[in-house]
Amino acid sequence: MKQVKPFLVAVALTVTASAFAQQAPKPEQVIKWRQSVYQVLGWNSNRIKANVDGQFNREEVVRAANSTAAIANSGLGALYLPGTEQGKGWHDTAAKPEIFKDGKKVGELAANFAREANELAKVAVNGDQAAVKAQFGKLGQTCKSCHDDYKVKD
Amino acid sequence: MSRQRVWDLPTRLFHWSLVGAVITAVVTGKIGGNWIEWHGRSGLFILGLLIFRLIWGFVGSPTARFASFVRGPGAIKAYLKGEWRGIGHNPLGALAVLALLGLAAAQVVSGLFANDDIAFAGPLAQLVSSERSGQITGLHVWLFNGLLAVVGLHVAAITFYARVKRTNLVLPMVTGYQDLSDGMPPVSHPKTSFVLRLAAFIAASAIASAAVYAAAGGFIDEPAPAQTVGQQAAPAW
Repeated sequence: MKQVKPFLVAVALTVTASAFAQQAPKPEQVIKWRQSVYQVLGWNSNRIKANVDGQFNREEVVRAANSTAAIANSGLGALYLPGTEQGKGWHDTAAKPEIFKDGKKVGELAANFAREANELAKVAVNGDQAAVKAQFGKLGQTCKSCHDDYKVKD
Repeated sequence: MSRQRVWDLPTRLFHWSLVGAVITAVVTGKIGGNWIEWHGRSGLFILGLLIFRLIWGFVGSPTARFASFVRGPGAIKAYLKGEWRGIGHNPLGALAVLALLGLAAAQVVSGLFANDDIAFAGPLAQLVSSERSGQITGLHVWLFNGLLAVVGLHVAAITFYARVKRTNLVLPMVTGYQDLSDGMPPVSHPKTSFVLRLAAFIAASAIASAAVYAAAGGFIDEPAPAQTVGQQAAPAW
């Protein structure tokens, strides 16, 4: 019994410590997540574009638009935690320091992004190819408005 | 007051087409969204114009030829002392012409390999890695500032000539003629036969068009290079 108790304490400590670790992910992990999010958005954007420029497969567009809207509504600000201004995820972060400071403006840009992404998810269900293309263009403008100010150009 | 012939028609067409195409490219590039497609088209058109102008710099009328207006430092010094007596681009302005043409060329060529990180890529971007395309995009964004600066200088010089030296440089670029100030002897500006000029114009346009076709990816074999996937159907799930 006397040997078991310290063992249990050690286990409890380890479990507690790992729970803390999960609550506060490392900056590298956060940067990886946010970089991955944009990779998924890129995938979605690519297949919507293929469908509005070429043959229109509604099912494919709906899937991609829903995925985009889900990401846009997911609270992306959580991936711009203080302490992740600099560093490497999959690669060096491309976020400019300003995105961590201009909270109000970035919030508006993020809301614009979510609004147009949700609209695209709606249009994808009923709209024709031209309507989807037009809304896809509007969505792209909200991407650009943020990239222009807050994304490092190589 | 007599008139002095300065610019041939193809040079004038080139100039104003370039103005229109650059404005289109800048505006559509700033708006983004689906207008980015017109950014790409206007860029290709600018490429064609620049290639045309390059050829016209060898076969055009005297004021259009590089050999006649690109001069050494001696000529530039003489011009600054007010000793230049010529028509067309002055020796100092020639440097601005070269800078404008060179920067515009660098801008359109980099654009061919660039991408907007959203839904658009230049027609030749697939020939380089996405990392390289990203670097070239950075260059494309950065070069734009240089181009803007030289265009600003160009417009400032024209304004200076209009306000201070009382010389209108814009009108000759429209009509082809400038007024000859009193007491100035006309400068000889020989013309070759109309047929020869027309042939040179058609040949230069044809070469420029072929170059644009190539730049638009017209010679890239389908199916696209191995860097892309999607030739075969993906699994249904």
